[in-house]
Amino acid sequence: MVMAADDRIRATLRSGLTHVRLLLMHPMHTGRHFNAEKILIEAEFIQDIRCWRNDIEVLAIKCGVATSQNPYFSFQLTGGTIGDVILVRWVDNIGAKGLVKTRVT
Amino acid sequence: MNQRLINAQRRDLIKKTISASTLAMVAASGLILPQRVLAHWPKDAFTAETVEDVLLALLGRTETTEDHMLNFSVGKPPVHAVDGQSVPVEIYSELENIERLAILVDNNPFPLVMSFELSRNVLLPFKTRIKVAEGESKIIVVASSAGGPLYMITHDIKVDTGGNA
Repeated sequence: MVMAADDRIRATLRSGLTHVRLLLMHPMHTGRHFNAEKILIEAEFIQDIRCWRNDIEVLAIKCGVATSQNPYFSFQLTGGTIGDVILVRWVDNIGAKGLVKTRVT
Repeated sequence: MNQRLINAQRRDLIKKTISASTLAMVAASGLILPQRVLAHWPKDAFTAETVEDVLLALLGRTETTEDHMLNFSVGKPPVHAVDGQSVPVEIYSELENIERLAILVDNNPFPLVMSFELSRNVLLPFKTRIKVAEGESKIIVVASSAGGPLYMITHDIKVDTGGNA
């Protein structure tokens, strides 16, 4: 199951490096807090994020509950050319998955 | 006698068929797959309650060296955050061949926030946002490379409203 989400990704080539910025839309509930009706909000948080460039895995991020809401990441990749495919997949603790993909500009 | 042997073989075959088809059904229904995916998530490290336990569970060692080749910055201003829900952290380093980075907050109920596995293709700075518990905490960044020491760097931060960490 891949959720349709508003996850955003940008990858730009600047001075020979690929700059990747990633924003995932996810509530990241810790499972230790209560809503307005004093009902416990079940834990729901992204656990695993993986990033590929042209089908080669370059980065794996494991997240705990203390990752901020709507997690944001920014990093750089060596080299790269315009048109490279940057693909990110994530999965959360209840099995929801997401996929976000872009081309380097 | 001959009839009984055939019956026994028949029973055996039926049993094997049933167990094989049950297994196939379970596999197809996806009951096995999610567990395999989640097995990559280091649960021991993420549910450990002290910084030492996290390092032991995640990296198998706790001796660290402080080295300013590895450093990170926290938000603006760097020592004080009004909102602990989203504290920006930017890690930079002159170290080469970092294989793994981890961000920890000692005051959070579970100190380990994130763990990154970097390939050679990834360069720092690495920016992200984390939740920090209310009050005074230490944010800790740990970097490990194959065969090298464990580098650790610490910054203090004071948070006005807790980050529901």
